[in-house]
Amino acid sequence: MNELLLFAQRVLPVLWQGTIITVQLASVSLLLGVALGLPLGVLRVYGSKWVRRTVMIYITIFQGTPLLVQLFVVYYGLPQLGLTFDRFAAAYITLGLNSAAYQAEYLRGALISVSEGQMTAARAIGMSKGQAIWNIILPQALRLVLPAWSNEVVSMIKYTAVVYLIAVPDLMGQAKNLSSKYFAPIPVYLTVALFYLVLVGITYFILREVERRLQIPGLTMEG
Amino acid sequence: MADQPIVRIENVRKAFGPTQVLKGISLSVYPRQVVVLVGPSGTGKSTLLRCINLLGRPDSGSIWLEGLEITAPKVNEDKVRQRVGMVFQEFNLFAHLNALQNVTIGMTKVLGMHKQAAHAEGMRELERVGLADRASFYPAQLSGGQKQRVAIARALGMDPHVMLFDEPTSALDPELTGEVLEVMQQLAKEGMTMIVVSHEMSFAREVADRIVFMEGGHVVEEGSPEQMFTNPVSDRTREFLSRITDPGQDEHK
Repeated sequence: MNELLLFAQRVLPVLWQGTIITVQLASVSLLLGVALGLPLGVLRVYGSKWVRRTVMIYITIFQGTPLLVQLFVVYYGLPQLGLTFDRFAAAYITLGLNSAAYQAEYLRGALISVSEGQMTAARAIGMSKGQAIWNIILPQALRLVLPAWSNEVVSMIKYTAVVYLIAVPDLMGQAKNLSSKYFAPIPVYLTVALFYLVLVGITYFILREVERRLQIPGLTMEG
Repeated sequence: MADQPIVRIENVRKAFGPTQVLKGISLSVYPRQVVVLVGPSGTGKSTLLRCINLLGRPDSGSIWLEGLEITAPKVNEDKVRQRVGMVFQEFNLFAHLNALQNVTIGMTKVLGMHKQAAHAEGMRELERVGLADRASFYPAQLSGGQKQRVAIARALGMDPHVMLFDEPTSALDPELTGEVLEVMQQLAKEGMTMIVVSHEMSFAREVADRIVFMEGGHVVEEGSPEQMFTNPVSDRTREFLSRITDPGQDEHK
């Protein structure tokens, strides 16, 4: 019993530090992803042919290669081209760019599922295409994209774990350290798994609540 | 009618791919007139309407709106559309906005009105279609007939000079068409210039100043309801109108 208490005293504070870093990584990367993914998604649908193509190439690259490879390219590869980032910056950039690709693709699906009549009606009252997208199409598409976007948030929390491979002391990084320090992989990793589970659980609950509040009266959303 | 036409269409042609839909249509509509376009499905009536507010551009030919050639290059399409109201078969109400917001969003975002002024004006338009008590209802909470009346109020909110109706009652249950037609009749009485694509023959007979029969991308014949229903020149007109006014004879649609 004493042993367990001792273990908890040593391990939990360190894991807590790691958790804070994991949460920071996930939230900043997601925000970067929104900031970039939103315009990319709109351009993917409404841009000119070449713009659409360029965005598609971007999305294909980030969806089609492993996140870990992207991270190593940014952290170890780009310095050879004269672009050096510290490990945190590399983590934020990689996760942010990666998330933007996924978010853009989710948004594309939502944008094209808003019925064409909405655009027609908006143009018919004299809105420009941009006004129509901003005032009519996006508010509907963003509601539609929420369930897919919730998955992205949950995935992101777990994906951040790859950054331990460039020695960022996130939850996973701290677990690795503790595990080798105390030769106790099973209790450490089980505890870490539990930490991730609780993080995901809380996030999931919050997002559900957001979805519920943004529902359009009279329309039922599946899920 | 000595006025100049509010809408003048000259020899308009339009094709979708290999299909020639409009094969040289000419038509003039004068202020305060109600013109009802009738004809079999697929004859280009809706396409013609969409050309009048530039939702579709003619391949050739010209359209004038109040003396301005809107088919000329460099015409600001958005400005043109502000003066032409359009009502769709499928209503196309903005799903995320309530009835009042559907009416006011164009006023605030396009006309630049202040929120309060738009709110007051929007309520007046909803009253005009008899739906002031539904202002806070969302489209999904309204019946088809109510949706279409909100759509009419939305178009009226932009203070249009001409209203286009594209089969406004075709998507409605029969018992709901009456309330929409009533609103349209009221508008006509107030002097709104209206171009209506419709299969509602009793509406055409009662409200139209002129009926235009279109078939195969051409205007076959036009005239007053009286003349068109009782003494049409063309056999095709006679055949179509008798079939559509007496559905027992031949199940149309």
